[in-house]
Order: sequence, then structure tokens, then C-alpha cells
Amino acid sequence: MADFLLSRLVSALVVILGVATLVFLLIHLVPGDPVDVMLGESARATDREALRIALGLNLPVSEQLLVYFSNLAHLDLGRSLYSNLPVSQVLAERIPATLELAGAALLCAVLIATPLGIMAAVRRGEAWDWGAMGFSMLGVSIPNFWLGPMLILLFSLWLGWTPVSGRDSLAGLILPAITLGSAFAAILARMIRSSLLEVLGEDYVRTARAKGLSERGVVLRHAMRNAWLPVITLLGLQLGALLGGAVVTEIVFDWPGVGSLMIDSIQKRDFPVVQGCVLFISLVYVLVNTLTDIVYGLVDPRIRLSGSR
Amino acid sequence: MILSRIFALSLLILTACSQPPDTQILRMGLANAPLNLDPRFATDAASERINRLLYQRLVEFDDQSLPVAGIADWETLSPTHYRFRLRQPTSRFTHEKLLDAADVVATYQFVLDPQNASPHRSALELIEDVTQIDQQTLDFHLKRSDPLFPAYLVLAIQPADLLASRHPFHEQPVGSGPFRFVDHSKPGHLLLERHRDGQKVEFIEVKNPTVRTLKLLRGEIDLLQNDLAPELVGYLRSRKEVEVANRPGSNFSYIGFNMEDPATGNPLVRRAIAHAIDRETIISQVLNSAAHPALALFPSEHWAGAKDLESYDYSPQLARSLLAEAGYDAGHPLKLVYKTSSDPFRIRLATIIQSQLKQVGIEVDLRSYDWGTFFGDIKAGRFQIYSLAWVGIRTPDIFRYIFASDSLPPKGANRGRYSSPEVDRLLKEVEQAKTLAEQANLYRQLQAILQQDLPYIPLWYENQIFASRRTVTGYQLMTDGNYDGLEQVVLVNKREIPDAETNAAY
Repeated sequence: MADFLLSRLVSALVVILGVATLVFLLIHLVPGDPVDVMLGESARATDREALRIALGLNLPVSEQLLVYFSNLAHLDLGRSLYSNLPVSQVLAERIPATLELAGAALLCAVLIATPLGIMAAVRRGEAWDWGAMGFSMLGVSIPNFWLGPMLILLFSLWLGWTPVSGRDSLAGLILPAITLGSAFAAILARMIRSSLLEVLGEDYVRTARAKGLSERGVVLRHAMRNAWLPVITLLGLQLGALLGGAVVTEIVFDWPGVGSLMIDSIQKRDFPVVQGCVLFISLVYVLVNTLTDIVYGLVDPRIRLSGSR
Repeated sequence: MILSRIFALSLLILTACSQPPDTQILRMGLANAPLNLDPRFATDAASERINRLLYQRLVEFDDQSLPVAGIADWETLSPTHYRFRLRQPTSRFTHEKLLDAADVVATYQFVLDPQNASPHRSALELIEDVTQIDQQTLDFHLKRSDPLFPAYLVLAIQPADLLASRHPFHEQPVGSGPFRFVDHSKPGHLLLERHRDGQKVEFIEVKNPTVRTLKLLRGEIDLLQNDLAPELVGYLRSRKEVEVANRPGSNFSYIGFNMEDPATGNPLVRRAIAHAIDRETIISQVLNSAAHPALALFPSEHWAGAKDLESYDYSPQLARSLLAEAGYDAGHPLKLVYKTSSDPFRIRLATIIQSQLKQVGIEVDLRSYDWGTFFGDIKAGRFQIYSLAWVGIRTPDIFRYIFASDSLPPKGANRGRYSSPEVDRLLKEVEQAKTLAEQANLYRQLQAILQQDLPYIPLWYENQIFASRRTVTGYQLMTDGNYDGLEQVVLVNKREIPDAETNAAY
């Protein structure tokens, strides 16, 4: 297990460093100069140069990259070109909102998808199955930028149940979580259905039925335990996506998360903040995937054993 | 089924947690939050508008954009020597210090110091030095004369003691304006308090215009200004719980040409395009009449505005004949690349113009880019035609900045590489002019030449739009879109408005 963890840690570090380098180079290749955006067109060449030196943008890109990695080794992500605040502080203000939204969306997706997927599998070919899969198809097909405003219209304006947007109250979390979680719920429901259908055909399930267990007991206690395995992998991958890819939902609901911060920073060419955001997202992906591997091993002893062989 | 019940119960509990907004705070929705509350370094429109509420300035502008006294009166002792006297009684900064001439001197000296890299230094480059005479009086000495000099003195005045101690103004603004800073700790939220009566105003960033509109309808914000698509304005007008007002604005939309390009460098082509664009229809049908046609950079009401400029009326026939004269026809059509930003409304306008140009035989390849890329291309001259707007311009010295042949980016904003000896000569004469009347006369001649040469096609001035709940009264819209109306606005108790809360009717 220790070897397994060590190998995962090393590969995670390589991925993160690779991502950091790639993003650093790409953002410097994109047209658009942060000094122009900050000073506007009317600034004089001497003022531009002074700011460029102050921000370290006068150095060659390779030198800037070295400085960046040297700072990174000291856990210093640099300072925002605009607010002059440390990037770590800027990120720290946004990360709780992102975690909150991703967690709520995941919970929402699991709560919707689990009963739907199970009902669709157990009642295969019946109206329940068609209904659940139809819902699933809708969930995948409806884009968040449309679903968000529609939910606002229904729940905020017509019914008056939730605020339109913002993170001022717990109720403000409902609509963004549903919006973000809906597509994931749809994918998850399909995955649970197909995984459960496969397991329901196994010999041990037939044995459980032959022993006279109730259908509920067979499905929930025996079949679902194995059916969760591929679902856990999907959960891990999707949690990463929920943490890093909630940009549209964050913008629609004014959710002050990392996704909207990243888009703002790209538009302003605030290089250190963009790098910080991407580093955070890649870190989350790597961490979640490593955790998924570990959980997978815990849930399925066969994987743990084959890993240690 | 148990899970579904848990989900429904959670929804119910969370819904019950929804707190109604504090009715004592006036909430204003903004498309973009201010980036920097330190006026020495702020350049974005939102920061400048909010800093106007926190700080005071030596000079303000009247309806014709002529400079008038702000916190100080001035006299011209010589063409290069101006004396300013602070008006009595002077205000106090929020840390209780009285504003005096030392604060004004310290503010201007900071910005003029090249080491501080303030983006506002270039606008003040003709100042030789600024000196304090006594507690209420200060002098500006200039490198050369300019009768428009007072109009450049719009820096927000900051306290000298805090400037000396390197106070973090961007986090804790300390000004002497009608509002004081309260809190900016929550991302996208800024809370100010009006000195006069303690009325709190919260600025809330809501980027999506549809969501901003919905928040206004539900009462989560009380007012908003501009940055709304015309159809949203039309929708708000139809809601009885909301009031919508507008007034002519001065933000100038235009199409710019690359004068070095073989196609757009041809005046016949530029005139053909000007005649092919049906601005009246775009204004009435797309902009919902929330704009008025422009003939020049400044409206005719401006003190340097031109009143008798020739307009390029919509005439597809004339456009086609001008194109034919330039050597283009159906067999050899004119093909142009039109660049614009990724703003959906700008793309829609560009698409309409593309369609109108197609009707006269011009094939337009429309390309939209994110702002940084688009602006980078425009400044580098990598375009044939583009559309943009000049926002918040007041002083006609901008003509030198945009149209002088030596004002190529990055030195100036002559993005189209326009070069006219006649315009350069007039701009030199403006520098020699002794009075504003002389300058105005020269600027009018210059605008007539520009209208003839067409480095820009003037499109329209977009109106300022304001929408508020009926609980908000007394807000006055400004032509340049600033938020000075907040100084007088009143938030009426919602219980005094019988049909203010009509959300159930949506």
C-alpha cells in the first residue's frame, strides 16, 4: 500500500508541475498585455515600462518561469497584478465557495441519480425505466446557461422560494447545486443502471434470490455493493470537474468561486491569478483521482491485492 | 425513495433559510465590480465612478462639458500660471482631518512622480510644478499654455498625511466625498455609507445581465444602471413594479478603418460603407430607440461640438455606385474582415451591419475575440474594420490622441494609422490658441475634415439607462453614466408602496 501511495504521489507531482509549466507558457503566448489592460491606452511609454519592471514582466519568459518555480517551491503563488493581494489569499477567499457548490452539486446528483438508476435497472423495460432514462437524456442535453435562468424564473420569481443568485444564504445554494448537479445526475443515473443490470445477472445474485431474500435486500445489500465500483470512479472524475468546471453556473448565479475568478483573470490577463487557479484545479483533479484509487482499493479487495503483488 | 424524501426535506429546510434582504440598505447591481479603490491607480469605469462618491476633485463639468469649480475656484494669473483657492467651508476626510491645499499638492505630486507609475500622469504632463501658497491656496505652473488646463484637474484628492504613510487606499479608501467606505471584504460586494444621513449603499456585482434584471424584479437589488440588452430594458418597462428612465448619453460608438489597408484606405470604399449602414433602423429596431445618431465624437451640445456636419444618409444605391467607382462589382466583390469583441450584443450589432453591407455587395467575414486579443489586434493595426466605443470622454484634446499622425499606439490611439497634414496643422493651432472659443472653432474645422475623410464612421451615442424598484426615488441620471445620482436618492419604506411587492404575479 505504501508503494502504491508513493507512486501515486510522484505521478501527481509530475502532473502538477507539467500543468503549471504548460499554463505559464500558454498564458504568455496569448495575445494581450496586462500592462495595457491596467494602464489603458493613454499611458506613456515610460509609465508602461516602469509598471512592466515593477511586475517583473520585462524579464524573458524563461527567467519569469524560473522565478515562478522558485516562488512556488516556497509556496508563494505571487501577487495579483490588479489588487496586489497574494494569489493564495485571493484563492482562499474563493475556494470555500467552490467546495460548497461542488459538494452540494455532488450530493444533489447522488440523491437524484441513485433512486433513478436503481428503479430503471430493477424495472428494466417498464415505464419507470423509460421515464428515468428520458430524464437522464434531458439532464445531459440541457445546457447550464439555459437551465439556470429557467430555475431562477420558476423557483425565485414565480414561487419566491429561493434567492435569484448570490451566496448570502443557504437557500442561495439550492439552484446552483441543482443546475450544476443535473447533468452529473443524468450521467450517474445511467451508470448506476447499467452497472446494476450487469451485477443483477451474476450468479451470486441468483443465489441470494434462491435463498429467499427479498428483492429489496438483494438489490440494496448484495447487488449495489458491487455496482458502486464503476460509479465511484465516475464520482471521482466528476468531482474534479465540478470543482474546476463550474464556470457557467458560477457566472449565472454570481457564485464567487474559483471558476469565475479564473475567467475574470484571463480576461484581465492577470497571469499569477490564472496560474494559481489552474494549479488549484489540477491539484484537485490529481488529489481526487488519487483518493478514488485508494477508495477503489478499499471497496474492492481484488484491486488492492493485485496492486500489492 | 428514502433518498428522494431526504432531498425534498433538504430543499424545504434550505428554502426556509432564505433571508429577506435588509430593507434599509440600498442595493445597486453592477456588471463589473470596481477593480481598484485607490484613485491614483484606478482606470476602470466602475472604480472611477465609485471613487467619485468617495473623493472630491478640484474641477467638475457643466452640461456642455466645460470645466467649473469643484472644491476650488481658480484664476488665470498668466497663460502658464493658475491659482486655485479651496472653497469654504472645506470638507473633512473620514479620518477627521480637514481637506487643505497640502492635500491637493500631495495628491498631484504623487501622480506626477514618474517613479509611482500612475496611469493618470500622462494627462497632466503639461504641469511644470504645483506649489502650496497657504492653507487654502495653491498654484500650478505649466510648461506651455492651454486654456483647457483646468479640465484636466479631475484627480481625486487624498489626504497628505496618509499618502506620506503609504496608507493602503485600495483596501481602506479615505476620502472627503459624499460617501464613506464601510466594507469590501466579501467578493463582489462593496458597502458605502452616505455622510448626510447614514444611508447605506451596497454595490453588488452581477455579471449576467439577465440575472441582474431578475434580481431587480425580485427585490434583491433596488436599482441598476446601463449594461442591459435592449430587450431586457423593454421587458423591465413592461413591469409595473419597476421604473425605467433614460437620458441621452455621450458614449460614442463607431466603426474604425485601417487607413493603410488597400481596400479600406480607399475613401470611396469608406463612403460606400457609411451609406450602406442603416443606422436609423438599427437604433429604432435593435437599440429600442435608446440611442441617437452620431455625426462626430462629441454631441453638438458639447462646447467643442460641431453643429453643421454633413451626414451620410442610408442609400444602398449610392453605396453600390461608390463601390463600382472603386472597382468592385458582383464579379469582383469587396471582401472585408470585421473584428469585434466577444460581447454578445456587440456581436449582434456586427452581424446586422454585416447583413446590411452584404446588401450592397460587400462580403464581411465577422470575427469576434476576447477583449485582450481584440484590443491587442486593434492597437497593432491588425484589422480592416472594427467597431468600438469611446466612453466617458469630456475634453476635445482627445482628437490629438486619436487622429494626430504621430499618435500611433502605444503613444496614442491612432489605431487606423490615419494621417492628414491638414488635421495635424489644426491640432498644432489648437495648442497655440489663447481661448476656449478659439479652440472650439479649430476643433469644429477639424471635425468637418474627419467627416470628409472618414477614418471613423460615427454610429450613435448610446443612452444612459436606469431601472429601479418603485421604492427608490430621486435618482438623477448623468450623461456620462457616473453614479452621482446616489447622493440624492431616497429609499422609501416598502410598506409605504402598496403594490411594491408583486412578485406573486410573475
